Amino acid sequence: MSEEAVKSESPYVLRCFVNGKEELIDTKPAARLLTIVRDELSLTGTKRSCEIGRCGACMVLIEGKAVNSCLTMAYQCSEKQITTIEGIAVQGMDPVQQAFLEEGGFQCGYCTPGMIISVKALLDENPDPSDDEIAEALSGNICRCTGYGGIWRAVKRAAEGRRQTT
Amino acid sequence: MGMNIQETIASPLVWHPQTAAEAWQLKQTYDIEAVYTSGGTLLRTQWESGISAMPQHLIDLSAIRGLNELRVGEAGLVVGGQTSLQSCRSNALLSRHFPMVTEAIRTIAAPSVRQLATIGGNVASSIGDSIAALLGYDAEVIWFDGTREHRALLSEWLHEASAAKRGNERLLLSVLLPFEESLGETPVSNGAEDLTSQMKRFGAYHKVGRREAFTPSVVTACINGVLTCSNVIKQIRIALGGGQTVPVRLEGLEKEISGADVDGQLLRHVYDRTIELFEPREDLFASAAYRKSTAANLIVSELWKAAKDNTKQL
Repeated sequence: MSEEAVKSESPYVLRCFVNGKEELIDTKPAARLLTIVRDELSLTGTKRSCEIGRCGACMVLIEGKAVNSCLTMAYQCSEKQITTIEGIAVQGMDPVQQAFLEEGGFQCGYCTPGMIISVKALLDENPDPSDDEIAEALSGNICRCTGYGGIWRAVKRAAEGRRQTT
Repeated sequence: MGMNIQETIASPLVWHPQTAAEAWQLKQTYDIEAVYTSGGTLLRTQWESGISAMPQHLIDLSAIRGLNELRVGEAGLVVGGQTSLQSCRSNALLSRHFPMVTEAIRTIAAPSVRQLATIGGNVASSIGDSIAALLGYDAEVIWFDGTREHRALLSEWLHEASAAKRGNERLLLSVLLPFEESLGETPVSNGAEDLTSQMKRFGAYHKVGRREAFTPSVVTACINGVLTCSNVIKQIRIALGGGQTVPVRLEGLEKEISGADVDGQLLRHVYDRTIELFEPREDLFASAAYRKSTAANLIVSELWKAAKDNTKQL
């Protein structure tokens, strides 16, 4: 076997960039990103819920793409840019967050960080999504309170806001 | 809610081989203590649900060079096993030439899961929901045995995997989708007769689950074929799967109906034989009988629609 077949073993130092800041985190290579952001970095806006990638409450951006942090292992984040809900609003409230506020796109709010992240990823890639594209983009985010009407309006408003500013 | 239980009791070493040979050697070295991993999404759900324990070694295949891209090869479209499902979902070449594969991938989980999950992982699981669509295009797989690469029909690969005592431990490298014969003006040799522009290609993929979106499948069904202008079946492939069933082609039925007219009698035959030949695994939510009748209805209705549309165009 060549020396190139490197291994990641415990203890493992994960180097990544969270909300624009370099982080060196002592962890385990197969630790979940969800655990790292909540328990190691105290970024508790990312929510723990189903823990099997079904509900979307733990969504974060990795290299700008929405990914379930409960499914992502530490070694998969090496050298990556990670954005949590806390990193969305570093320059003031994001238009997506504003749209959720104005359209009542939440009730208890537990799913909202994940929803915001998914909508952010969608609109960054596709500023003018069709209804089908919105439905597909949010198919991995579950809300048990709102009935989705407010969320749907919020996505439409956020997309409309982007069109007006570009 | 506390720390995930698997994280407290297990901490696998993660290996990052750069070549297929290195990955293979690692698997030989650590044997049942090691598991190949791509995106790891299916493995993670199995660990969380207690279906399997975290292994002592993970062999991460993502660093193997050349396996995370789609490219046109001499024999068709080559999809590297480490290509994410979301990359496949948005790939224009795949969508243009193999739209049923794109549709199948669209119905797998959600985009956020598909960013991690790979086509190789979906196929190597033997129960992934892309497989029925891949069988509908007569896909092949390229795999590594420790010394060289092998090319095999996906249908045979699956059959051998389900027969193996320890499951599928062969190292899958790529999926190969052969381009289909053109039905343009130039006749294409097809045995005794030719495929010409007088014929129509048809196909459909369906996934039936218990919810509309982000649902595990109960049945996956794919039909892909060619009809003459008088509704004679010139080519046909029928593939079925879903749930924990390893997808299969109904090759016996395909042979029986090739060359036959699509009429009421033939549709009844297709329904009856699908019920007879398809052997789905049942679970607490859906019986084998339900899955059989669902599959048979999907296949028959798509065949009927293709013939009806064909007649309308005359």
